Amino acid sequence: MVSVLIIVVLSIYVSIAVLDQISIQIGPYSPLFGGAITGLIMGDLKTGLIVGATLQLMTLGVATYGGATVPDFLTGSIMGTAYAIIAGKGAEYGIGLAVPIGLLLTQLDILARMTNTFFQHRADRFAEQGDANGVERQNVWGTIPWILSRVIPVVVGLVFGQSVVNAINSFIPQWFMLGLKTAGMILPAMGIAILMRYLPLKNYWPFFIVGFVFMAYFSKTFSILGVALIGLAMAGIYMMFGTKQAAAPAAAGTTTDTSDQDDDDEVEIDD
Amino acid sequence: MTKLDKKDINKVYLRNIFGLQWGWNYERMQGLGYSWVMMPVLKKLYKNGSEDMKKALRTHLGYFNTSQPMSHLIIGADIGIEEKTGMQDENAIVGLKTGLMGPFAGVGDTIFLAIYRTIVFSISSYMALSGSPIGLLLPIIGGLLLLWVRYWFTNIGYEQGTRLATDFAGQMKSLTNAASILGLTVVGALIPSVVAFTLDLKYKMGKVTLNVQDQLNTILPALLPLVIVLFSYWLLGKKKMNSTKLIFVLIALGMFLGNLQPILAWFGGLI
Repeated sequence: MVSVLIIVVLSIYVSIAVLDQISIQIGPYSPLFGGAITGLIMGDLKTGLIVGATLQLMTLGVATYGGATVPDFLTGSIMGTAYAIIAGKGAEYGIGLAVPIGLLLTQLDILARMTNTFFQHRADRFAEQGDANGVERQNVWGTIPWILSRVIPVVVGLVFGQSVVNAINSFIPQWFMLGLKTAGMILPAMGIAILMRYLPLKNYWPFFIVGFVFMAYFSKTFSILGVALIGLAMAGIYMMFGTKQAAAPAAAGTTTDTSDQDDDDEVEIDD
Repeated sequence: MTKLDKKDINKVYLRNIFGLQWGWNYERMQGLGYSWVMMPVLKKLYKNGSEDMKKALRTHLGYFNTSQPMSHLIIGADIGIEEKTGMQDENAIVGLKTGLMGPFAGVGDTIFLAIYRTIVFSISSYMALSGSPIGLLLPIIGGLLLLWVRYWFTNIGYEQGTRLATDFAGQMKSLTNAASILGLTVVGALIPSVVAFTLDLKYKMGKVTLNVQDQLNTILPALLPLVIVLFSYWLLGKKKMNSTKLIFVLIALGMFLGNLQPILAWFGGLI
């Protein structure tokens, strides 16, 4: 049984995190923080870090471009970490559970965004009378559906924590958990593929190959930070030399712009 | 006409940071939040209950959606214009808002969502996987820097007003390209390091046991992760595919690959 204090603290955390997610995005909103902080509160930081970091890497490319709904991997990370610690079965168990939980909670995110339409209409009525304060209040009310959509699953999930874990353990066969574990290893491919769709791969594919080769052949001596610095240097070189050449054809016509829009058309992956 | 001072700009900046998306809803997206962000300025420029206030509230409650960091430029420009001309020409204001939100969303999502998030969170997740929570500071430091950038955006928008559309958008283009180069380099490097899948498959031929993964490594290290990513990339280009469906495809693939040895043994047993 998870103590009441832990449930309260995690509820407060997830409330702050969802507001972070829709505003400054400084950190608490990320699955990485979700796992780490849940681990810290429940006394197993290491498991939390691994669950959070794995989920974070898995979902790197999954962002709310244009305000689209994406699976709620923050709450998934919190619940996955909590269940891994309750069951004492290690981080991989938690990662396997976090993905389906995040997928399931997509629906609550949609519900919250729909509920806020109600406040938008109330604001319209105040606007008819020119009542600025009335309009102002509606946006503040808008935080409530957001917070509830995250707090409710966390509270329900933790209150029934032990029995949920028992049910999972008795119903799910060994091969299924093994498959989930492997799925956890290959799922980051999705985030990367989304980024490749989103970034102008067709124009700048050589840089993609450079990055790949460095980590594929020299992963023992190199790090992501090192590759990022190489990328930064190449971006700097582009700013020095590449922009001058690119400026001439861009001024001559708008052909470059249209090709960019063709790329954008392919990105319909968030709904 | 009433003049705005530094305090009013700062109030708008703070509200923009926290509350632009509190009231996010499917009908007008950031519309409710936009009016809330503008409120300190609206209250100063127009009298509560006046015709101008009604017009302003109606205008700002309208459909709006863009990248959050970029919204500072638009809102800054908006208050700059309303300070000078008030609600005389509401079409100009609607034109500014809707004209800029599209292109700015594209640029902002690429730089601040796709590239920035990928680099910062892949580095910090990497550190977390090795058990170190220090990396969690990285998104916070980056986030504080972004807050400063957003403050600068608000002011530059306010000072430049409508000129912003032509001047700034032009400069943003080459900056986005440079950032894309950096982003794609890191994305390439992420494949071998993040998709941590290795084939656990041994093939027995008489007395010799062949490790399939070792054989694959001699062709190209991280060949399988690359193939899985390219497969996902190709799938995402399909009309009916989206990221949520792709998760299910990859889970199914994981189920298969994770149980490959028993599956092959079963086939072997059949023959």
